[in-house]
Amino acid sequence: MTGKPYRLASGGSRIDRSKPLSFSFDGRSLSGFAGDTIASAVQASGQRVFGRSYKYHRPRGVIGLGSEEMNALIGVGVGARHEPNLRATQIELFNGMTAVTQNRWPSLNFDIGALNNKLSRFFPGGFYYKTFMWPRSFWKHVYEPVIRYAAGLGKAPEDRDPDTYEHMHIHADVVVVGGGIAGLTAAEAAAAGGVRVLLIDENPVLGGIADLTAGKIGEVSVADYAKAAADRLAALPNVQILSRTTAVGHFHHNYMMAFERVGDHDPSILANGAPRHRLWKIRAGHIVLASGALERPIAFANNDRPGITLASAVRGMVERYGVAPGSNGVVFTNNDDAYLTALALKKAGVNVQIVDSRARPQGDLVQKAIAEGIEISASSVISKVEGTLNVKSVKIAAYRKGQGRVITEKKVDCDFIAMSGGWNPALHLWCHNGGKIRFDDGLASFRPNTHTDAITAVGAANGTMSVAETLAEAVAAGEGAAKAVNAKAKAAKIKLPAIEEPVRGALEAIWFAPATGGYNEGNKHFIDFQNDVTAADLELAQREGYESVEHTKRYTTFGMATDQGKTSNLNGLGVLSEATGRSIPEIGVTTFRPPYTPYSFGAIAGSLTKELFLPIRRTPVFQWHKDKGAVFEPVGQWRRAYTYPAAGEDKHASITREILAVRNKVGLLDASTLGKIEIKGPDAAEFLDRMYTNMFSTLKVGKCRYGLMMNELGFLSDDGVTVRLADDHFLMHTTSGGADRISAWLEEWLQTEWTQYKVFVTPVTEQWAQFAIAGPRAREVLAKLGPDFDVSNEAFPHMSFKIGRMGGYPVRVFRISFSGEQSYEVATPANLGRGLWDAILAAGEEFGIEAYGTEALHVLRAEKGYIVVGDETDGTTTPIDVGLEGLVSKKKADFIGKRSLEQSYLKGPNRKQLVGLLTEDPNEVLPDGAYAVREVKDKPPMAMIGQVTSTYMSPTLGRSIAMALIENGRARMGETISFPLEGGKVVKAKLVSPVFYDQDGGRINA
Amino acid sequence: MLEARFESPLAGREVPADTYVSMREISERGMIDLRGSAADRKFMATAKSALGVDLPKQPRTTATWGDVRVFWLSPDQWLITCPRAKAQEMADQLSQDLAGVHSLAVNVSDMRAVIRLEGEGVREVVMKGTAIDLTHGDYPPGTVRRMRFAEVAALLHIVEDNVIDIYVFRSFAQYTWDFLRKAARKGTEVRIFPKAG
Repeated sequence: MTGKPYRLASGGSRIDRSKPLSFSFDGRSLSGFAGDTIASAVQASGQRVFGRSYKYHRPRGVIGLGSEEMNALIGVGVGARHEPNLRATQIELFNGMTAVTQNRWPSLNFDIGALNNKLSRFFPGGFYYKTFMWPRSFWKHVYEPVIRYAAGLGKAPEDRDPDTYEHMHIHADVVVVGGGIAGLTAAEAAAAGGVRVLLIDENPVLGGIADLTAGKIGEVSVADYAKAAADRLAALPNVQILSRTTAVGHFHHNYMMAFERVGDHDPSILANGAPRHRLWKIRAGHIVLASGALERPIAFANNDRPGITLASAVRGMVERYGVAPGSNGVVFTNNDDAYLTALALKKAGVNVQIVDSRARPQGDLVQKAIAEGIEISASSVISKVEGTLNVKSVKIAAYRKGQGRVITEKKVDCDFIAMSGGWNPALHLWCHNGGKIRFDDGLASFRPNTHTDAITAVGAANGTMSVAETLAEAVAAGEGAAKAVNAKAKAAKIKLPAIEEPVRGALEAIWFAPATGGYNEGNKHFIDFQNDVTAADLELAQREGYESVEHTKRYTTFGMATDQGKTSNLNGLGVLSEATGRSIPEIGVTTFRPPYTPYSFGAIAGSLTKELFLPIRRTPVFQWHKDKGAVFEPVGQWRRAYTYPAAGEDKHASITREILAVRNKVGLLDASTLGKIEIKGPDAAEFLDRMYTNMFSTLKVGKCRYGLMMNELGFLSDDGVTVRLADDHFLMHTTSGGADRISAWLEEWLQTEWTQYKVFVTPVTEQWAQFAIAGPRAREVLAKLGPDFDVSNEAFPHMSFKIGRMGGYPVRVFRISFSGEQSYEVATPANLGRGLWDAILAAGEEFGIEAYGTEALHVLRAEKGYIVVGDETDGTTTPIDVGLEGLVSKKKADFIGKRSLEQSYLKGPNRKQLVGLLTEDPNEVLPDGAYAVREVKDKPPMAMIGQVTSTYMSPTLGRSIAMALIENGRARMGETISFPLEGGKVVKAKLVSPVFYDQDGGRINA
Repeated sequence: MLEARFESPLAGREVPADTYVSMREISERGMIDLRGSAADRKFMATAKSALGVDLPKQPRTTATWGDVRVFWLSPDQWLITCPRAKAQEMADQLSQDLAGVHSLAVNVSDMRAVIRLEGEGVREVVMKGTAIDLTHGDYPPGTVRRMRFAEVAALLHIVEDNVIDIYVFRSFAQYTWDFLRKAARKGTEVRIFPKAG
């Protein structure tokens, strides 16, 4: 609905009329002033409809004043910068802003989905559960896509977000949540104690609703008091103020998260490099919760029409933005506070009358309204609203508490309604981490009770609605908080001035304003506006047996929208209470969960996006791999070169080339990621004997030994080559993925179980760059590098090592092999790694050296029947299962896992054992993980007897090879077993030794 | 004869101009990891005579003698920093002097990358990546401690009030550099509490 402009001729404490702004709203060009929100500027233009509701597509306008807004959700920004579902009441206007409404098709004023409203008697609570059950397959392909299209909120942008975000940690002695008069006063009192105070407030301007509060503090208005207090705080060095920052969650140990909107209100801030949002991770000594209260709507017939607004929001529109909600209004209330709204409207020249459900409204504000000549209908309710896109008139009916149906009504023309059902303390943060609450009959709401954390609620958040009591409470809480974190904190000695405020009459709860006719006869009493849940839906849920409030919530979706029940929760409980005859405390509340208001995924991710999404570990030769066009594969956080396709080569071809280079000439592998741990001490040898399955105390200095490690359960956990540097000094190699885990494992045994051992363990993985030179010509390459030690086979046999130099490079060279070829692993300090790598390639050129990646490495080791822990083992595999019984010492008194290997089921028959597989068709490569079955049947189930653990096309052998764990595999050598694959195909393979190549080990020792 | 070619973890990275604290790699630092028991008098005395300074026993402290600085890492572990050229010699000397005393000294000069941050705001830049409260009086110059930084293990050394060295394992050098570049980008200043006592 668009119409006459509603901007008043004067007034508006937040706006600067000398700074006009223009913006686009659903493609229309509108204007506003600096200081406006989208909500105020659009309403000033005369437009009330801000969107369509979720389920019934009813037109909806603004209801609230701040983050409690549940109707006016809009999208802001274009393209990749578009963000949907923002609350119009919180969006600060800037010049050139583009905003769009949501959930409307084809337009705001005519929406096809509104048919749902006409058909609404067929859409009761639980409708989706009841209706879309059959046929089952329709849910995924028909119902869900259609419902998702028609219902729902804004659309997510499709492109990558161009803005940046970040996290920030902060510690404060006292954290004050909320910058209204309670929070400001508490912060001042705490700061006076000399402790560090963090004040968090979600609005752009501190003061909360001080400007909408009646009374005088000393000689000044409540608003001026707040302004002065905010200025004093800003000048204090021990106070940090975060505005536009919402405390979204409270967690264990007074950990709190807050969401700061750094640059949403001003694009120039972003242009200067600021992050768009910042997520604060706050550690608080003591928290003072001054989060205020949220006004309740009233459930009356058609209470969702555009132009029906919370009374405080109407007051805010008039006083902050100089925007009238209309020209002729009705204030519907059950308490005195809304009278302030009537008085503000009257003062602004807007015609207004009051409908009060209470029999005898009294109090200073009531008297003032009477004195101002405002018409008051007591003992009355609004029983109906006429108008769809706008309020045209209301019916006012006499009301008595407990009355079910209206008898007589009078029609009153009006163009807006301000409603107030009382105030609910904002308890969310109090409750996130288990704070208890109690029901207060005077407030007709819950208020904080006890909490196990160091947290104090003050002011309206504590259910304290008077200014004088709020300030007294705030001073005490601020001083108390400072004392609690620092016993020596000075007392604030704040003297509060005399406070004048209107004496208020009592509120009388009204959970349901009766209407003519029954529910759903065109009269909807909305409880949860955002999810379109009505009083009738809640009552229906009760009749259908959803008695627990948590069940009612899930069945009807009441309280589940993005506003998390801020405005709906208590009204819903009131309706349930009246429907069941149980009191509200007996019904209980649903769980309050973080976040208090939605916050952006950008803030959650912070700066950990793109290249920072995951920490990537790079070896000293990473850049060479990259320049060479390597395809990388993740190995833990490492990125290792998988293969190096040359121009015109696919991965298969490059892997084949690399393998053949190792077998026929010489290859070079970056093995820097291998875990390396120095182990030293008089008990080091004995310690290793206990950690490994095989013996290390007998290892001679200068020699290498392959070792297996089990966990206590007897299952393989790691393997690698350990070398003896000196009598009491070893260097252990672990798998790349096991490096951190194994060093922690060694430390754990030393620190918690074998404290008698004198052994030190120092991980040195990253100190060394380590490269494998492997292939029949490896020794020639090594010799060419000019080592200062003898590299002849006799002087430097397999499983020995040398420490020395190759020219300027200090090296440790280990003659060990994971390829089955003559092989040397050369380690040099990491900062020399790239230099040595280049030198090896240069030296190897004449021998045809080629770099090979991890896939070639894996094929090479599989050809040789070497296991990979994690491929051939799965956490339930013993050394015996993989055929390495010979490495399980029979002599050692004890070692980790020894006892477990004696358990019957690990020794018993039918264990899966490692075998080699040769497929009948040599070109057929079995899929990894393929299952072998005892007998092939037409369809599952088929008894499974094992699975493929590694499978490759072997260029060396010119045929496929695989390794598998097969029941009783070693006893079945020579048998052919079947692997039924997806699609009915069955692959047959013969069980053979897993060592496919060079079974006598001649090449390795050459 | 082969000439050794040295390449530090962040070699070739340009010092960014768009950050509000300066950042650069320190590549000339030598490091030795020393294990031994603080309760072992002979170990402590031998270490002192080799290094010229007592190994610090107080958690999170450092001790300095000339160009040698010792970081407390745990009750039985220290990190000794010195000029890179001296590291191997010093490690060998320590091992030799400590022969027969239960200990382990390893030259780990290449294991870590060191990034120096300098300027007003270094503490808050680091606090974008760690939960430690560097604005607190518990963190005077000379403090050293290990921490989780962004998503990796790191070691923090407060050299001066506005000078912080961050040590990370070599493989995370690029990640840490990238994180800091983002965290320290001009325009992202936060200006949290001035350092309070």
